[in-house]
Amino acid sequence: MNRAVARALWAGTLTGVGLCAAATLARALDLAVAPRLAQLGVIALFITPPLRLAVVAGAFWREGSRRHAAAALVVLGALLVTAARAALL
Amino acid sequence: MLAALALAAIGMLAGSLGALLGIGGGVIVVPALSELYGVPFRHAVAASLVVIVASSSASSAAYVERGAANLRVGVVLELATVAGALLGSAVAGFAPIPALKLLFALVALYSAVMLWIGRRGASDSADASAQAVHGWVPGLAMSTVAGAISGLLGVGGGLFKMPGMTLAMGIPFKVAAATSNFMIGVTAAAGAYVYFARGDLDPQLAAPLVVGVFAGAMLGSSLLPRLPARRLQGAFAMLLVFLGGRMIWGVLGGAR
Repeated sequence: MNRAVARALWAGTLTGVGLCAAATLARALDLAVAPRLAQLGVIALFITPPLRLAVVAGAFWREGSRRHAAAALVVLGALLVTAARAALL
Repeated sequence: MLAALALAAIGMLAGSLGALLGIGGGVIVVPALSELYGVPFRHAVAASLVVIVASSSASSAAYVERGAANLRVGVVLELATVAGALLGSAVAGFAPIPALKLLFALVALYSAVMLWIGRRGASDSADASAQAVHGWVPGLAMSTVAGAISGLLGVGGGLFKMPGMTLAMGIPFKVAAATSNFMIGVTAAAGAYVYFARGDLDPQLAAPLVVGVFAGAMLGSSLLPRLPARRLQGAFAMLLVFLGGRMIWGVLGGAR
């Protein structure tokens, strides 16, 4: 489980940080694309916690730890509802 | 260019301390942005929450890979922290700024005292599975408070989670730090979504901070196994006293 969770964390983090680094560079060079890159970087970082929770819930479920899987799914549900509300406003 | 570099430097400091001490680094970012840069407090909190998501994701990936975090404890406590974060970030939308700043200072000073007291009982054990976990009720209560404080002040909640896990639940300091790091990103994301929905989040402010915090978190998590837990807690307690005092001075000075 640890390896799968770590991979999910790395994927989201590196994408988000990479886009933020590109945004910082673009801002330093006064490029018009900087705000868009920064927004995409933040969105990539925002996706990482729900992604990690989904991986954790799946891993607990496969291990037979149903209570821990349910806890992770409840938290995931709360995050997704809040994120959807933020995206729609 | 200089502003982006300065923001990245603040992020790097926050990231390394966050990884070393099991906090999100918001305790550095929020006062630095609001007191030194004059960024509106809610915008500073929102940027700090994004930084905390990046910091937590980067450092906890390393911890989880090594098996240092207790994920079973983490997912249960996250139920409480996320509920608290949603409540706290909603309240932050209408709470007066001086009150939020004073609360920030009080939280910092309280945590300094708790960490200084708990320093004597700090364990250097790094085994995530061997310890017997107890005190779930105070642990969940502290986690709810930690989540609410995170949503209100953009501090990640490690300030409350760490004493809760080490003192109330008997989890060794290094395991608690790794588990706290794993949880902090989820807690901060819940709060950040609410700030984003309210229009308080400026991605261009957050981006250079994220770059710095990522580099700092990598440095901090690689140093953690080599550093003694007691000294870390003591140093952090002193830093909190300084930041809390600085914030109180700023609010009371501004009121005159």
